[in-house]
Amino acid sequence: MQIFVNPNYDFVKWRFHAVAFSAFIILLGLGMYLTRGLRMGIDFSGGANVVLKFREQVPFDALRSQIANASVQRYGKAEENAVLIRLPKQGSEGDYAGQLVQRLNVSLNPESATKHDLNYQGRDTLAEILKNADPDRKGTGPAAHDYYYTMAQSVISRRSELGLFSNMSQVTSAPGVSSSAGKVISEKAFLGKFNVLNQESVGPQVGKELQQKAIWAVILSTIAMGIYITFRFDLGFGIAAMICIVHDVLIALAFLVLIRGEFSLNIVAALLLIVGYSVNDTVVTYDRVRENARKLKARVPFGEQLNNAMNQTLSRTILTSGSVILVLISLVVFGGKVIHEFSLVLLVGVLSGTYSTLMIVPAVAVAWEEYVSKRRGGKAPRRAEANRSEPLPRKPAPERAKRA
Amino acid sequence: MNRNIWWKVALIIGLMVLFIAPLVPRRKNEERIPLGLDLKGGTQLVMQVNTGDAVRAEIDQAMEFFKGQVTKQSLPAAVVRRESPLSFVAIPQGGASANDYEKVGRDWLGQFDVSQQPQGVLFTIKDVGRSQLEDDTVNQAMETIRNRVDALGVTEPVIARQGGARGKNIVIQLPGVDDPARVKEIIKTTAQLQFRIVEEIAPGQAATGSDAQALLQSLPANLRNEVEILPGDSQDAFGRVSGKMYYAVKKSVPVTGRDLKTARVSKGRLGEPIISFSLTPDGGRKFAALTGANINRGLAIVLDNKVKSAPNINSQIEDQGIIEGRFTQQEASDLSLILRSGALPASMTTLEERTVGPSLGNDSIRAGVTAALIGFALLIITVILYYRGAGINAVIALFLNLIILLGMMAYFRATLTLPGIAGIILTLGMAIDSNVLVFERIREELRDGKTVRAAIDNGFTRAFGTIIDTHLTTIISALFLFQFGTGPIKGFAVTLLIGLGASVFTAFFVSRVIFDITYRPVDRPQQISI
Repeated sequence: MQIFVNPNYDFVKWRFHAVAFSAFIILLGLGMYLTRGLRMGIDFSGGANVVLKFREQVPFDALRSQIANASVQRYGKAEENAVLIRLPKQGSEGDYAGQLVQRLNVSLNPESATKHDLNYQGRDTLAEILKNADPDRKGTGPAAHDYYYTMAQSVISRRSELGLFSNMSQVTSAPGVSSSAGKVISEKAFLGKFNVLNQESVGPQVGKELQQKAIWAVILSTIAMGIYITFRFDLGFGIAAMICIVHDVLIALAFLVLIRGEFSLNIVAALLLIVGYSVNDTVVTYDRVRENARKLKARVPFGEQLNNAMNQTLSRTILTSGSVILVLISLVVFGGKVIHEFSLVLLVGVLSGTYSTLMIVPAVAVAWEEYVSKRRGGKAPRRAEANRSEPLPRKPAPERAKRA
Repeated sequence: MNRNIWWKVALIIGLMVLFIAPLVPRRKNEERIPLGLDLKGGTQLVMQVNTGDAVRAEIDQAMEFFKGQVTKQSLPAAVVRRESPLSFVAIPQGGASANDYEKVGRDWLGQFDVSQQPQGVLFTIKDVGRSQLEDDTVNQAMETIRNRVDALGVTEPVIARQGGARGKNIVIQLPGVDDPARVKEIIKTTAQLQFRIVEEIAPGQAATGSDAQALLQSLPANLRNEVEILPGDSQDAFGRVSGKMYYAVKKSVPVTGRDLKTARVSKGRLGEPIISFSLTPDGGRKFAALTGANINRGLAIVLDNKVKSAPNINSQIEDQGIIEGRFTQQEASDLSLILRSGALPASMTTLEERTVGPSLGNDSIRAGVTAALIGFALLIITVILYYRGAGINAVIALFLNLIILLGMMAYFRATLTLPGIAGIILTLGMAIDSNVLVFERIREELRDGKTVRAAIDNGFTRAFGTIIDTHLTTIISALFLFQFGTGPIKGFAVTLLIGLGASVFTAFFVSRVIFDITYRPVDRPQQISI
């Protein structure tokens, strides 16, 4: 099978349309960023996230009245009975999420003052209760400890499987729980209203540090990429590659703003991967330009050289990106909530990377060649000399392309 | 030629055995690739050790020590007060001169810079000493945390210092913790245990009261500087907590938690949980001296600056004692665990805390694995549809890549996280790129009229440079990712790095060998399925 048989598209010709299109998208993203802002995840802003799963319907009103200045929203589908509580950035360091959960536990589970909460507390506490009551007459030795510890362990494993206990029979029917032990559990323990799925607190200090580290990581890796390409090819390509990377990162960010996504550590990981991956196609094209240049007998305009190389490597560009796009689609659809935004941003970044290789690279590379040939004046540069006969609109090029 | 090929095949098989071996579980349910906290459930904490506490304690000690030395030298007792967090001042009294104090300081307090200032003799802790002390404090805190975590029975915890040798932060990863609130409490409790004497307002009348200020005022003026007012709970006639109460206790702390040999839970007179402890021989001597000299006075048992109880000393006590404090069973057993594992040298502040419940972890594993399998299947179908025979070649290379990737992770005990699972499947998507580059090149060579063998040879040699370039750029960004990332993201970077490295090998070496076997040069193949 083959998708492109001897393609012959004039990518160079459409470069200004492409630049305008990209600029439009990026400006749109920028506009939305300025009006609605980018939602910062707690990794960067500091604050807390708590996801609780309730046995029955989430008591939204109780939660909202309990916690001032927090956002309380549904997490996942309504029947999952889960809620996401976000606390904004806090002034001082501390374990806000843990404290919040503890406070909610006290107010929503008044029984917790005297009884063991099977949905909230752990195996050690349960084992201790069983050991003290000793329903199965095991005495006080280490054997008794092991016996009740194993029993408690089994109850907690059951809870991990289920997510949370919704009735007491789920507890007492856990493997290894004797009927007399079950009686003790029913007496001394109760089923709390919720279980913690996830809780995170990030203090102001960590958030600030991470923010700086993230920005530097993206900037430095982009520069590193530019240096590598300059070293392997030349400065013009290096600059074009860097502009492409910046383009792709901006498009991905514009997309994130558009979907009202949250800027998190995972998103930074996606951006860094975009930085590394989006130049791959570009490298393939450059390689071909260079290879062709060695074989050239007559002088061919640079734009044409580029066009030829791009057409020759077109199926490669589409296929290589295509394979990654395939797995990304799978991740977007099946990968679950935790990495959903990560996969989406990456998908957009890879798509943008392919697009920029085909449409933005020509704009930058041709503009650079023209700029170099202009500066050298009469002296003809190696490749761009034949630009004189180039059939493309030359006059507005340097100015407009610089904005890309 | 022929022999050469079999050597290569043997090498590939050997490598596969090498990488599959670490993946085979040696015990039932053993995780050969450790799962990250986001998949397994667990808690990660980043704690800052407030080393200032330790410095303050050091200065307090030096102040007491200095006063003692001054008395030993038969100089008039010195008035000593704290000047800044890093220094204290001794004001000469009676016939003593600043020079006398300076000499005492130079002779006995080597870790301090001594200078004469208008307000008195200034003792400032030396920078070297301070940074050494801070370093020791962080190390000691890590040691204590490790003891506590071990006592809790957490399997495979990670306790590491963050920010290099000078860092004051400690990262604690506790996989599989099912009661994070309790575990955090146990880790964070400073557990500074002190035995101090309760001051008396008048003989036989212990200095306690419900108001801290009034209590201080009720003391004779000469004692006010010698005591510290500490809070505690007051009890009603039935032993229930009825409110707050303050104790004026002597500043000197003769016996501390360091003198404990062991502590365990036992039952009190009414069957209530209490903690009984025994002291080291040295601690026992100090305790005996303390209790012997203070019969009929109150002994305040102070934990983290709160008076837990203040029983009356009826007779001299040697090396055994109990702590009552209206504990629940769990509190008592946690506290005895904490006391056994030693006190933290300084308080700690939580900078970051992340807990993933086990059920969310299970969901993540399910979703991640499903997405990876479907993505993998899509890749295989596409590549075989597009390249037919050569597609199968690529799929074999892909499988080997996966084995190398997983084998390496098991070998280095690299943690698998949810982004890591995404990283694995992404790496495979990228690994296919190398095959695509080679295959497209071969097709091109065939179109130019080359023979099958020449096309294969050229395809591989000509695509080589390009593939190295594309891999290196992605590896560079993965290195930045590794440098930047924490936890799950680091796991992502690790899978990318290993996978990309492996794909150079599989796309070149393995895929080439398969071509060389299926289209042997001696057969002069005329057709190739690509």
